[in-house]
Amino acid sequence: MSRITLEKVCKSFGAYGVLHDIDLDIEDGEFVVFVGPSGCGKSTLLRQIAGLDRPTSGDIRIDGKLVNSVPAADRGLAMVFQSYALYPHMSVRQNLAFGLENARMPRAEIDKRIAEAARMLEIGDYLGRRPGQLSGGQRQRVAIGRAIVRNPTAFLLDEPLSNLDAELRISMRAELSALHDRLKTTMIYVTHDQIEAMTLASRIVVLRKGRVEQVGTPLDLYNRPANRFVAGFIGAPSMNFVKGTVVEVGEVAASVSLMGTTVALPRPAAGAVAGQAVSIGLRPQHISLAGDSEAGVPVEVALVEALGSETVIHSRTATGERLQAVLAGQHALRTGESVRLSFAPDDLHLFDEAGLRLA
Amino acid sequence: MSNRHQGKDALPAGWLGGLMMVPVKAAMQVIDMPLRAWQRLTGLTGMASFFLLPNMAVFGIFVLVPFVINFVYSMTGGSEIFLDQRFYVGAAQYRDLLDCRSYVDPSTCVEDGFWIATRNTALFVVVQVALMILTALITALVLNREIAGRSFWRAVFFFPVLLSPVVVGLIWRWILQRQGLLNLVLYDLFGFEPYSWLTDRNAAFVAAVGVTIWARVGFFALILLAGLQAIPKDLYEAAEMDGTRRTRVFFRITLPLLMPNLIVVLVLGLIRSVQVFDEAYVLTGGGPGTSTMYLTQYIYEKGFASDLRDPGLAAAASILMGAVLVVLTLAQMAASRRKEKQGER
Repeated sequence: MSRITLEKVCKSFGAYGVLHDIDLDIEDGEFVVFVGPSGCGKSTLLRQIAGLDRPTSGDIRIDGKLVNSVPAADRGLAMVFQSYALYPHMSVRQNLAFGLENARMPRAEIDKRIAEAARMLEIGDYLGRRPGQLSGGQRQRVAIGRAIVRNPTAFLLDEPLSNLDAELRISMRAELSALHDRLKTTMIYVTHDQIEAMTLASRIVVLRKGRVEQVGTPLDLYNRPANRFVAGFIGAPSMNFVKGTVVEVGEVAASVSLMGTTVALPRPAAGAVAGQAVSIGLRPQHISLAGDSEAGVPVEVALVEALGSETVIHSRTATGERLQAVLAGQHALRTGESVRLSFAPDDLHLFDEAGLRLA
Repeated sequence: MSNRHQGKDALPAGWLGGLMMVPVKAAMQVIDMPLRAWQRLTGLTGMASFFLLPNMAVFGIFVLVPFVINFVYSMTGGSEIFLDQRFYVGAAQYRDLLDCRSYVDPSTCVEDGFWIATRNTALFVVVQVALMILTALITALVLNREIAGRSFWRAVFFFPVLLSPVVVGLIWRWILQRQGLLNLVLYDLFGFEPYSWLTDRNAAFVAAVGVTIWARVGFFALILLAGLQAIPKDLYEAAEMDGTRRTRVFFRITLPLLMPNLIVVLVLGLIRSVQVFDEAYVLTGGGPGTSTMYLTQYIYEKGFASDLRDPGLAAAASILMGAVLVVLTLAQMAASRRKEKQGER
């Protein structure tokens, strides 16, 4: 059982603030992913939880117990490092046993745990090898195995897949997910890859410049991003943003003008006022080619990326806005061709000038 | 076509560049044809040998030829310097050097000075190398920590390495001699009577060991410091997460990962220690008596300085000492290779 709570956690290096007032409640058994661009403070936040760094202010609690001054080893957590951090001069078996020997665990128990982890991660065949003789994927498994044998209350994983090639990353991602399902232990995972975050997390914490931008389930973040940053960060390709104006705000509906057309929204757009300038977000996956009888936004195709299962087009509207669309299937479109694109009004996301979502 | 050809051969921009290229081009034209002919004749390997030639020539003239001459000297007798005035004695010099009833008792040896120097050198090497590695390791560990003024301290520890060994010897003689700085300070602070640090057998030995460590430790600490900095910080953090005690971190992580650097330090330290001369000679002159006379000093005095000069004996002694150094170097290479193989395994 491990519930991890962060209250107003701040971290500064000299005058430079890296984390600002982080409040977070991680439930037992959750798979929480910290995601954000490079330098947003996600690894720093993980290190505060691990005990490898002390927060400048604020409290970190594990199962209600304040652990700010508890050494890393006594927090009951295990960490998997980006570089794996395997001891290069020790065999895989010695790497797995090292932490357990520190705790003066009986040899029989150590052997039992190693055997169990080796079976679970399928690393039994190379327990006698050194890390330098293993592939990246095998090293990754050993690093996870070293965490597993400690039987921790929570796993902390700092970009564990970033050194693997794309194919291996996908398979390891699935294995990690399966491992979490099997162990049901709290996992906190740091990544800058939003696809990794979306596929693994039960909840995602989006960070930017040391602040939490939004916390929610992957679909929450995808469907109702709290601000422009989250909207742009979650989802690939990124959400399109075009300038627009609120035309009318009613109790059950509203309308906005964008790209030279006025669109009626089937929702009230609470917080908006008529005439207000807004930024309107539209996911590329929510755009399609307009049918002959459909109204649509005329665009000129600037680039076509035929990916087989889908076709990505980069286009420019008559008002000069750039629109990226992901069209299902294959389309014989050419650069310079004029087409009309359509979208459902319900898929539009409205953000005010500060970038905050307008319901 | 002709324009393109002109462009290819055009001189670098600027008259100075053009001027500089003239002799280069002239030289190239002169050597181009013979070089090509040589390459056709010998292939690429032959060309490599050709370019190695200047270095091999320098090595040959200043190392190989003197070595051979030295070996020839070791087979001759007499006190004359010029080879044509000396007479062939075969292996007699080696026989004299190695002729002992008991090797642990120099007084039973024909050439007792050689064995006294050998015994002194052996003791010096064992004590000095052990203490120096320990000091260098401690220094490197301290300098690797985030202490205040770390760069300053690193410079301070490295500074003596830049000094000439003779200067090192002189500085410490001024400090340690009877009327030296140390006695002055001890008298002023504690009222201690002046002590003859350099004329007491044990104190002179300790001084020779201490001064050579002081002079060289910065160099060896630097090698170890580089090794320490090459150990990824992640490993220490992983050890911290594993709840590893500091002593265990040192013996199970730092020391094994520092081993390649330690082997280098050990062998370089051994070689330099066997060759000890300048600092010790200036500091103690080999005394009191022969208590700090080391092999190099013996060879120097036999070959050049003593009244009973015997260049042949000195040459033979230097060949024997060279053999010891070759063994040490081979041991180092074997140890490094074994370590590399272990790393691969």
